[in-house]
Amino acid sequence: MGLLAFANPAILFGLIALPAIWWLLRLTPPRPKAEVFPPLAILATVLKRQETPSKSPWWLTLLRMALAAAVILAIAGPVMNPRSAAISGGGPLVLIVDNSWSAAPDWGRRVETADQLIGDAEQADLPVSIVFTADATHDAVPGSASSAREKLRAARPKPLVPQRALAVDAVAAALNGTRPGTVAFLSDGVSTPDDGAMMTRLAGLLPQQLNLIQGDGDGAVALTDAVNTAASMTVTAARLSREHPETLKVNALDQQGRSLASADLTFAAGAATARADISAPFELRNDFARLAIDGKATAGAAHLLDDGFKRRRVALLAGDGGNDMQPLLLPLYYISRALQPYADLIEPRGADLSTSLPDILQQNPSAIIMADIGRLPAETYEPLQQWIARGGTLIRFAGPRLAAAPADDPLVPVILRRGERTLGGALSWAEPQPLADFPNFGPFAGMPRAEDVRVNRQVLAEPTPDLAERTWASLGDGTPLVTTRQVNNGRIVLFHVSAEATWSNLPISGTFVEMLRRLVQMARAGGAVTATGGAAAVAGAAPAETVLPPFRLLTADGALTTETGTAKPLTLAAGRTPGASPDHPPGLYGSEDGFTALNLLPAGTELNPVDLSAAGNLTVTRAGLIGREAWSLRPALFTIAFLLLLLDSLIVLAMNGAFSRLPRAGRATAALLMIALLPFALAPGESRAQAPGQDARPGDEQALERLDTTHLAYVVTGEADVDRLSEQGLEGLSQFLTYRTTLEPGAPVGLDISKDELSFYPIIYWPISASAPMPTQAAISRIDAYMRNGGTVLFDTRDQFTALDAGGGTSANSRRLQEILANIDIPPLEPTPENHVLTRTFYLLSSFPGRYTGSPLWVEARQDSRNSGSNLSSTGDGVTPILITGNDFAGAWAIDANGAPVLPTVPPDEMQREYAYRAGVNIMMYMLTGNYKADQVHVPALLERLGQ
Amino acid sequence: MASIGQIVPQTPGSEVLARARQRAILVPDCMVEARRIANTVIAGWHGRRKRGIGENFWQFRPYSEGESLSRIDWRRSARDDHTYVRDREWEAAHTVWLWADMSPSMMYKSTLGTVSKESRALVLMLALAEILARSGERIGCPGIMEPVAARNAAERLASAIMLSPPPEGLPDTQMIRGASDIVLIGDFLDDADRIMARIAPLARRNLRGHVVEIADPAEETFPYSGRTEFTDPETGEKLVSGRAETLREDYQRAYLARRDHLGQSLRRMGWSFVFHRTDHLASEALAALHGHLSGNPPQLSGAR
Repeated sequence: MGLLAFANPAILFGLIALPAIWWLLRLTPPRPKAEVFPPLAILATVLKRQETPSKSPWWLTLLRMALAAAVILAIAGPVMNPRSAAISGGGPLVLIVDNSWSAAPDWGRRVETADQLIGDAEQADLPVSIVFTADATHDAVPGSASSAREKLRAARPKPLVPQRALAVDAVAAALNGTRPGTVAFLSDGVSTPDDGAMMTRLAGLLPQQLNLIQGDGDGAVALTDAVNTAASMTVTAARLSREHPETLKVNALDQQGRSLASADLTFAAGAATARADISAPFELRNDFARLAIDGKATAGAAHLLDDGFKRRRVALLAGDGGNDMQPLLLPLYYISRALQPYADLIEPRGADLSTSLPDILQQNPSAIIMADIGRLPAETYEPLQQWIARGGTLIRFAGPRLAAAPADDPLVPVILRRGERTLGGALSWAEPQPLADFPNFGPFAGMPRAEDVRVNRQVLAEPTPDLAERTWASLGDGTPLVTTRQVNNGRIVLFHVSAEATWSNLPISGTFVEMLRRLVQMARAGGAVTATGGAAAVAGAAPAETVLPPFRLLTADGALTTETGTAKPLTLAAGRTPGASPDHPPGLYGSEDGFTALNLLPAGTELNPVDLSAAGNLTVTRAGLIGREAWSLRPALFTIAFLLLLLDSLIVLAMNGAFSRLPRAGRATAALLMIALLPFALAPGESRAQAPGQDARPGDEQALERLDTTHLAYVVTGEADVDRLSEQGLEGLSQFLTYRTTLEPGAPVGLDISKDELSFYPIIYWPISASAPMPTQAAISRIDAYMRNGGTVLFDTRDQFTALDAGGGTSANSRRLQEILANIDIPPLEPTPENHVLTRTFYLLSSFPGRYTGSPLWVEARQDSRNSGSNLSSTGDGVTPILITGNDFAGAWAIDANGAPVLPTVPPDEMQREYAYRAGVNIMMYMLTGNYKADQVHVPALLERLGQ
Repeated sequence: MASIGQIVPQTPGSEVLARARQRAILVPDCMVEARRIANTVIAGWHGRRKRGIGENFWQFRPYSEGESLSRIDWRRSARDDHTYVRDREWEAAHTVWLWADMSPSMMYKSTLGTVSKESRALVLMLALAEILARSGERIGCPGIMEPVAARNAAERLASAIMLSPPPEGLPDTQMIRGASDIVLIGDFLDDADRIMARIAPLARRNLRGHVVEIADPAEETFPYSGRTEFTDPETGEKLVSGRAETLREDYQRAYLARRDHLGQSLRRMGWSFVFHRTDHLASEALAALHGHLSGNPPQLSGAR
């Protein structure tokens, strides 16, 4: 059937030109100027890549040929276009068009096909009679081709099952005995029950020709049924073609059309129906509004679920009105507390059950909970049982009254023994019973075992063979706790304990809430079951007659629309299931608060191919629709041609070396390309900057140089003479250290403590100068951190004698030091004690003179100096983080470029200078070796130990 | 668009000879420098500025013991108490090998040049032969003509070339014996190292060489533009350049670098190197070559 036709076949002659194009293409790229050039070898070194000249490579030519062919074919406009058979000229053309649900996907092609037939009739000057089988009314009077076209344009697929016999009747009536020439039947391929009648009536028309035009609608799939079981929603689907196995996806959509869950619908080979289980939690399933098969946009492939009762209406009845003053003893107290979040609770207006029960039934609850009602008024049994049979759920709780009730109560699920059983009472051997594990069926399946529930009293069921199946919960000793019985569409559930906490502590446990909630959900599910499958009925009990206006209607595409059109209100009568009809198209009837779903196909429908065997001796010509797949090859071909063109351009560019010359070419295109590529070029650069091993930063070399050798450091105060003296002093000490010890420090370093890295230096010399600017708070906190991390700062106030001059008060420098230290967390200090490590790290010293002498060297006070042999301070390996002196060390150490001392000592004594140097050496050794020298006091003991 | 360069047919010997004569007339007699000349016995026409066998007086020198008495010039000796010997200037003919490249690449002529490279090379060679023959040198062509000392050497060389065109590539040097001069005229477009590999053995055999590179102006200036397919006339190899003008700078750099490399390599061996373009007058190259042969290199050699 699939015939490839061309809109403009003449263009195909262009293909003849392909050899010429081939020849032309082989000349491209444009023939270069031929030049004899002897120094070709030199040129070849410059022109890096050799190009095979004058002929493009065969594959490039082939590519271009394909391009040209694609363009020619695309212009020719290929379409899948099977031409339907010609019509017979003997009489009017009769078009019977199925505009049913399964015609919706290819409706455009059906219209096209019909339009072409009408065109044929127009050419043959024949009247046209056109009917649409799914329409309510059929106007089959033969008319002109244009009026038939108008009808055709106006027709839309309906979400209905075609009524072909009626249509044929209308045609027969309109023809009024005229023998039609061609009867064209545009079938949707799905048989209807009145096909046989249609065919006999069609044969009665005695057409000269019968064309059966059928789409490729073998893929018609319909959802016929959905059942909400305890654990999942079971969907039944039927299909038309049954040869091949097929897997489809069923989506469950909520009211906004969002997909909530889905399941695979797998048709076995040869099977007409399939089932799928959509597993979803209760709550989610309650939100299902519509089921739809993925990829099948038809009314048949959509299944509406009525969702009128978001909150179930639950009626509560109690045998004992109880005392309002003692609410905890009211039988309905715990039930209402448990159900309030989940359901609408209604209570009888009066205590008289004979009046209140019909009243409650009038309110159409989905569940009625009766707590300890032994007997109902006799006249209420009948309506109550009817209500249950229609889908109501009756939940009963035991109690003294029920236990005392006669055994012939029809509203209990099991036969009860008279009286109750007491467990754990004063005269009972039995212990109060816990709950057993919930069985894996029923609404309580999957609930955790209630460990804390104890049942003291219960009513007992007479054992019957099917008791176990009807037991949804049982006690530890196997006696049933919750039993159930299905009554038609409804259900009776019995709790064998009372609804208040006297018989058991079940009502005050969380399990009770969950159990009730699940039961009410079940009641709702039961309602949905009855409402589906075209047998719409409001869940629960419906009054004798309910008239529901159309609320949302299903379109032929399987979507819901608010346009209700000519749909008439649906009358629901008890015991009668309405079906979809032109008056009542499938959809939701009712209002937003509650509606009933009317589905297209009743449960159990099977889809069968149209059977024309009843046509008798009529010759049936079969044909397909125009525009199979409705797919023109033209866009695809143009796309291919364009892609080939792009590819060709790239290849030519590459062959001409455009890409290799890019870096040098200063042309706009190259520049543009570069700009376009710039982000890509930059991106790796950035990532490289962050790559490990590439993290060199400015200043690294300096830092490494600082780390290579030990440097003495001083704080730059900002006063030139002080700083110069510091540098000269440290230079002198460095030379002394180099000369006398193995420590060979590098050049002294002046530090800006506000920004230089301090951690490279073991000690920082800080000459205090009151006239220098006060360091910032940030700088002082850096010094604090430095000291905390094990560094040592040697503060030198240089005021040993000025302090004396000041007459006992503190000097300006000392005050400055106090200001600085005010914000530093310094340990308690003491003058260097006699046996401090500082006194013996290199030289044995008793004092630490500088330019002046007399000022003590303050160090961190030793902990437990009195009674501890260890002279360690707390942190920094026993090295004091702070040294304070007033002796002006730098002044004593300072030497000029010739190595001569800069300043005289006070008093002028070169030995004092020597001692000052020794003090510096001791301090440096102390800084670098820490408590190592302190250990030397133990040397005799260690030697003694080793010598044994 | 007509192509710039073309391959022209080989120039007829007679025509070249006539043109060569015209050029040769313009150039004075060639005095081949005899600095490193072989000790041949064949008398030449020109003095070597050195005593030896010849006809012209060179110098008187005191007689030394052991010399043949017959060599004493008694007339001079009679003037004073000493005996003198009359020395004559050594007049020996020198062998100059001339060779011109006749490969297909030499047939190239562009619109910028007046004649083909081959034509210019032949003119140069024959003019040189004419000049040298006029000076009494022995003229030879390796692989084609044994050296002859004849006034009509140029004609004989021309007819020899016509009869047996020189093979392509550098000449067969089997015929060359002893020290002599060799003049190589060609375009030397091969790889400079490969050329040097061929020439170096010649230099080791005490040959003194003079290399004249003939180039067409198109080869040097590269006046091509647009999509151009270049063909090597020797190998037939083809190259297509999409935009020839973009190559010009690189090409010129490579081309001149090759020439400089070749010239320096030759000069390092003691050979001379003359560059000549066909759009210049042949006399220029002839004068330069003449200078090199005479041992007075011109200040300004070749076209550059």
